[in-house]
Amino acid sequence: MLYLLAFLVVVMLIAGIAVIVVKDILSAVILTTVISLVVSVIFLFIASPDVAITEAAIGAALTTVVFVIAIKRTRSKETTDKE
Amino acid sequence: MILGLSFVLIGLAVLFSTLRLLKGPSTFDRLLAADTLAIITTALLVLMASYFSRIIYMDVALVYSVLGFAGVVVVARYLEGGL
Repeated sequence: MLYLLAFLVVVMLIAGIAVIVVKDILSAVILTTVISLVVSVIFLFIASPDVAITEAAIGAALTTVVFVIAIKRTRSKETTDKE
Repeated sequence: MILGLSFVLIGLAVLFSTLRLLKGPSTFDRLLAADTLAIITTALLVLMASYFSRIIYMDVALVYSVLGFAGVVVVARYLEGGL
C-alpha cells in the first residue's frame, strides 16, 4: 500500500514539472487538474477524508472553471492559438 | 489477494494514462487522458473504501464523480469556441 502512495507522489511530481515545461497554457490547466486529483487521493491515504472532499470539490470543478474563464478573457494578440 | 491485485492493476492504468498525458501532442489528448485519470481515481477511491472498511471514504468518490466532469466539460466547451 505504501508503494502505491509513493507511486502517486511520483506521478504528482512529474505532472508538476510538466506544468512548468509545457508550452500550451490550456495543457497547463489540465495538468493542474491532475495534480489536484492526486493530492486528493494522498489526503485520503493519510486518513483525512474531509480535506479530501474539499480538495476534490475545489480542485476538480472550481479551479478549472476559473482558469479557463481567465484564459478566455485575457487572450492576447501575440500568443497565437495553436494546438 | 484480489484487492492487492486490483491496486496493482489500477497503478498500471494510472501509469499508462500519465504517459499519454505527458506525451499527448494536442490538447485534446491531454484532456482525454485527464478525464480517464479522473475515472480511474474514482475507482481507486471506491477500492480504498473497501480496503480500509470505512464508509466515509465513499463520499469522496461520490463528490469527485459528481463534480469531476465539470472541468472537462468547461475545457471542451472552450476548445469548441463557446463559453
